[in-house]
Amino acid sequence: MRSFSEYDPVVIAVFFVTVLSVAMFCGHPIIAAITLFTGVIYNIVLNGRQHMKSHLFFLILFIVLAAANPLVSHNGVTVLFVMNHNPVTLEALLYGINSAAMIVGVLYWFRNFTRIMTSDKLLHIFGRLSPKLSLVLSMALRFVPLFKGQAEKVHDAQRAMGAYKDDNIVDDIRGNMRIFSIIVTWALENGIITADSMEARGYGTGRRTSFTRYRLRGEDIVFLAADLILFGAAIAAIVTDSVEFTFYPVVRGSISGIAGAAGTAAYGIMLLMPVIVEAEVRIRWKYLQSGI
Amino acid sequence: MEILAVRDLSFKYPMCSAAAIEDVSFTLEKGEFAVLCGGTGSGKSTLLRMIKRELTPLGERCGTVSFMGRDTETLDDRTAASAIGFVMQKPEQQIVTDKVWHELAFGLENLGISQEETARRTAEMASYFGIGEWFDSDVSQLSGGQKQLLNLASVLVMQPELLILDEPTAQLDPIAASDFIATLKRLNQDFSLTILMVEHRLEDVVPVCDRLMVLEDGHLTHSGRPEEVITSIRGRSEIMCGMPAAARIYCALEHSGASPLTVRGGRRYIEENYSNGQRSLPDAAYSHSSEPALEMKDVYFRYTRESEDVLSGLDLTVYSGEIFCLLGGNGSGKTTTLKAASELVRIYSGRIKVFGRKLKEYRNRTLYNECLAMLPQDVQTVFLKNTVREELQDAGADVNALPYDISHLLDKHPYDLSGGEQQLAALAKVLAAKPKLLLLDEPTKGLDAYSRSRMTEVLRRLKADGVTIVTVTHDVEFAAECADRCGLFFGGRVVSCGTPAEFFSGNSFYTTAASRMTRGYYDRAVTAEQAAELCRLNGRRCGE
Repeated sequence: MRSFSEYDPVVIAVFFVTVLSVAMFCGHPIIAAITLFTGVIYNIVLNGRQHMKSHLFFLILFIVLAAANPLVSHNGVTVLFVMNHNPVTLEALLYGINSAAMIVGVLYWFRNFTRIMTSDKLLHIFGRLSPKLSLVLSMALRFVPLFKGQAEKVHDAQRAMGAYKDDNIVDDIRGNMRIFSIIVTWALENGIITADSMEARGYGTGRRTSFTRYRLRGEDIVFLAADLILFGAAIAAIVTDSVEFTFYPVVRGSISGIAGAAGTAAYGIMLLMPVIVEAEVRIRWKYLQSGI
Repeated sequence: MEILAVRDLSFKYPMCSAAAIEDVSFTLEKGEFAVLCGGTGSGKSTLLRMIKRELTPLGERCGTVSFMGRDTETLDDRTAASAIGFVMQKPEQQIVTDKVWHELAFGLENLGISQEETARRTAEMASYFGIGEWFDSDVSQLSGGQKQLLNLASVLVMQPELLILDEPTAQLDPIAASDFIATLKRLNQDFSLTILMVEHRLEDVVPVCDRLMVLEDGHLTHSGRPEEVITSIRGRSEIMCGMPAAARIYCALEHSGASPLTVRGGRRYIEENYSNGQRSLPDAAYSHSSEPALEMKDVYFRYTRESEDVLSGLDLTVYSGEIFCLLGGNGSGKTTTLKAASELVRIYSGRIKVFGRKLKEYRNRTLYNECLAMLPQDVQTVFLKNTVREELQDAGADVNALPYDISHLLDKHPYDLSGGEQQLAALAKVLAAKPKLLLLDEPTKGLDAYSRSRMTEVLRRLKADGVTIVTVTHDVEFAAECADRCGLFFGGRVVSCGTPAEFFSGNSFYTTAASRMTRGYYDRAVTAEQAAELCRLNGRRCGE
């Protein structure tokens, strides 16, 4: 009984890859609608009421993207009105809305992904591919806050010593450049000590292993299998052209036959899986707590 | 069993005429706790690095180092890496990875240890050191003491037979430092781990070690039980000044018998040998000028809207021409006080005046021009250039006008200087702005006792030139020696304030070793010199 974010990182990565590969390469409005809808729902499940302002930002982004297409593209046969001697068509508008839904939907899934995929988990995945690569990434992740912190300290130190005599932008910029240059020296100096510390602890003495605190459990395998089956169904439907849609010159498209219907449904279920897992966990907890 | 044997070891760095270490021989038994001390540049770190093969610098070397009966050169890579552990001075820079658990596992990953074994050993180590609570944290969130503990744990996870430490507590505050040394003592006693450490802060470590070694100019001049070594170096003030207060009092009194090392031992020694007819030294009357240099009234500050107040209702007045020491625990807001006074952070309520003018009235950064300057804790942040000379030219400083001499350092890179030299070079740069109010943040951090006493002298000379000095420090001994007034910082404000004699004799826990030693026997003896002076005045008890 774990929430989706606690599943094995490999499972999480595979899930996002399957989701995004359908979402980004299939232009059907229903697929785009499913992507957007489930993406927003899962985001709310993850964040609760935080980040409400960011939803507003994405709404504006959606409107801008949807409106931009009919203003620049004049394909399509149904003219709504003429603006500056250019026809604005219904087809172009619908195409704009569809691609906006797709882009915003994919962005939402990316946000969900970065929320769940913490640096530990990424390292776990890279550690399986190459222990060295994973170490380099881990060191880089440690280095960024270190570098930033030192830059701030140097800046404060210089200011309190009166290194900048006036409120003068040129002076400030020059000061920042000098700080950057000394920080690079500092980083190299720092790197020597870190390298000593690595060598003292046996780095480079032989084959490295990559320690990880995750292990594959039953739930992971079930989730992975379900994901791959649903993904297969969705891909089958797309490849056999059972799910197709064109906007120009006239809006035309369909979901044909059992394959099409099954593929679309499979995609919808696939995207809802994390929400389902989350809901199951919460309900079970409620139940368990009432029993305590 | 002999675990380490160093025979006739000499080492010379390339392009250097003098040997860094010469003809050093000693052996360590299993389970021994040895402390190596000596001044800056005496070759301590070089010697330690000769023992840890991976860190041995390039240069001319003769003599042998054998570990468990085998020359370290012939050990296989994995044994050499895991059986000899090495912990360095700077806690921050030894850490390799971004997560605590990964750092613990790092050494084991390098040795190619299996998943299960790594999981077991890291869990074991985390439980032993109480790291469990922050096992999942980012290392950037840890305090200095926690970082150094993590460094120790991530070396011990490889199960070394010999642990070498190069000034491990220099960058820690006193409480974290004595915790760290207590941990070492526990490791030594519980697991009979052999420890060889270089240390400046000898107050805590000398009483617990089995052997004290003194290195002078590359020669191992003394080695033996701490009491014996102290007796034989009693005339050497530059080495003695780092020793525990009890030992310093003993040496100042020209007395035979074993030297006391702890506060308890020192107390017994004084009571047995000296009477207390005269209980206190005549107080040097202290009067400050009436003109305040820095005034803070009802100051409130917090870093973010949600966080708690770091400064809450702070009232502080520092009079011009005095040295004021602000003491207090970690995170109590001492450094923030200095930042607020130098306008690096903006307070949300209250008033700060520098030389009678509000901070706001100093327009256009005139505050930092011939008025106020701050030397931060990490003095490396002061340097921007490749040599000390450029550094001083850049700031417009005149080497000859300084109250101390750093002319021999001018052509070195600031990062290549020792801690004490860096501190002085940075101070020189800060003094270029001719401040009348100097704010110092932990000026003695990482310094050996000799550099520290030099810093005290420098501050006194600056004071004689009319500079007002406010220093934040953890170092009670330093404060007792150089301050005109001290203040205890707690809960975002100064809770008590007074001259060192009043302040330290009023405190029972947060006070100097000499004051703890003479409490209730003598009054107002806060430094080892004062205590020794009182003993001398009272004279030896008769019949001995």
